[in-house]
Amino acid sequence: MPSTATALLRKDFTIEFRTRFGVSAVVMFLLVTVAVIAFSTPGEQLSPSILSAFFWIALFFGGMTGLARSFIAEEERGTAFLLRVYAPSDSIFIGKLLFNLAMMLSLSLVSVLAFLFFFRDFVVKDWLMFLLQLVLGAAGIASVSTILSAIIGRAAQKGALLPVLALPVLMPLVIATTDATRITLEVANSWDGIRENILILLSFDVAITLVSYVLFDVIWKD
Amino acid sequence: MKIFRSYLFLFALAVAMTVSVYLSLATPVAGNFGDVVTFKMNGTANSTPALLRLDRSAFDTLGSLHIIASDRYGTRQLVRLVSQTQISDAGVKPGHSFVALVEYIPAEKMFVLGPIERVDPIMTFDFIPGLGELGRNMLFHVPMSMTAFLAFLVGTIYSIMYLIRKRPSDDRSARAASAAGLLFTLLATITGSIWARFSWGTFWNWDPREVSIFILLLIYVAYFILRSLLEESEEKKARIAAVYNIVAFVSVPFLMFVVPRIKQSLHPGGGGSEAPIINTSSTPVHTDPALLNLHWIMVILFVLLFVWMKDLYTRILTLEERTEN
Repeated sequence: MPSTATALLRKDFTIEFRTRFGVSAVVMFLLVTVAVIAFSTPGEQLSPSILSAFFWIALFFGGMTGLARSFIAEEERGTAFLLRVYAPSDSIFIGKLLFNLAMMLSLSLVSVLAFLFFFRDFVVKDWLMFLLQLVLGAAGIASVSTILSAIIGRAAQKGALLPVLALPVLMPLVIATTDATRITLEVANSWDGIRENILILLSFDVAITLVSYVLFDVIWKD
Repeated sequence: MKIFRSYLFLFALAVAMTVSVYLSLATPVAGNFGDVVTFKMNGTANSTPALLRLDRSAFDTLGSLHIIASDRYGTRQLVRLVSQTQISDAGVKPGHSFVALVEYIPAEKMFVLGPIERVDPIMTFDFIPGLGELGRNMLFHVPMSMTAFLAFLVGTIYSIMYLIRKRPSDDRSARAASAAGLLFTLLATITGSIWARFSWGTFWNWDPREVSIFILLLIYVAYFILRSLLEESEEKKARIAAVYNIVAFVSVPFLMFVVPRIKQSLHPGGGGSEAPIINTSSTPVHTDPALLNLHWIMVILFVLLFVWMKDLYTRILTLEERTEN
């Protein structure tokens, strides 16, 4: 990994720990979502399919609120120019991708804990497969929003645009991952049920990351 | 692309389109026991095209059927029904006409009704229980979907070419192809939902393929939204839009080919089955070769229509840009 990428990663983490803006906004978003779900379904028996839909809605939109900032913040602070001068574009992409991945994984962790805590019907039967598909899904969301937030860093009405652009692109991933989550909530030995979903997730993640890596240079340079 | 601008091409396309649409709409559907249709025999030297029509005299005093058929030699009893059950589900009444595969028995000079297979001297829509006349939608819905995919593919290729060659004309072509793709997707959605309404009961079922096409519409609507919101020079706008187009196209094969095949679907080929184009009956129905040819002709015509539309829209975009400067 290029040293500039690690430097960028360290910089982003430092800013994040100093302000805690991204994390707190995302966690707030998540808790509000969970509260709305809990209030609107008092005493209801929530089926695995409904819970997995709620789970990924919370994770997707939570991710969109947090990850949209990765390039927009640079553009707003005016540091994007310095970044262009300072580092080659591929290491910037890697640094931002890894930071988004870390954000997304911690968000996943928080939402799993929140769902386990607040919903008694949220019982994971197959933890290994659940975590596997969770990581793959989170990685896909991080990867797509990295390239797309670089794109919308250049557009007007930045905040609203990321979900609009990202949701359609992420839809194959969301379809596969909600299905996989549902199955891991339903059966203990879920590999046979989710094998195809895992393959979709894996191939989607690899394809989108490679394409983004190749194309990032085109967006980033002036 | 000069050829697509000649009147001869347009005229030929219009004529071919008209003929194909006419054939698609006029070709009879086999075996729905409600239509006047002709049938032909396959294979045997004694085959004869005939129109089957049930009239009052077809029912004898005991209530069983005698099929009176007319052929070129006049009207006589040519066909005998093997068993009542083969047409009982539609409730055959006097005055109804129907089509069936008939077996010619030389010794008795009679046709015996067998399983319903094909009609019409030229071609026929296979009879699918519950689908009936809607089968002809296959010649619109499927080619439109195919053309939509091709259009998005072409748009993405132009986007890639733009990033490589940096020619503004490539960007305009990408936009035009995506716009035409959007139109064809919309048409495929409309024809599909009409089909769904009359064969599954509602216009929209959230079948995996319906989800896919819905998302596909969103992707390319988002592409045009993004373009309108970019506050950059034309060159940079084109570059960023091209990148989104390529990134978005990564999910298109997943949406169109992978997800609908893995998930349980009302469409053929869903749920991991290796279903043919149409297979809803317990006995496999083979698509009439002539019909399949017409289907591919329709695909080619829709593709040519797309090429023409894309070319036209590219020219409009070129003129718009020229007037702005």
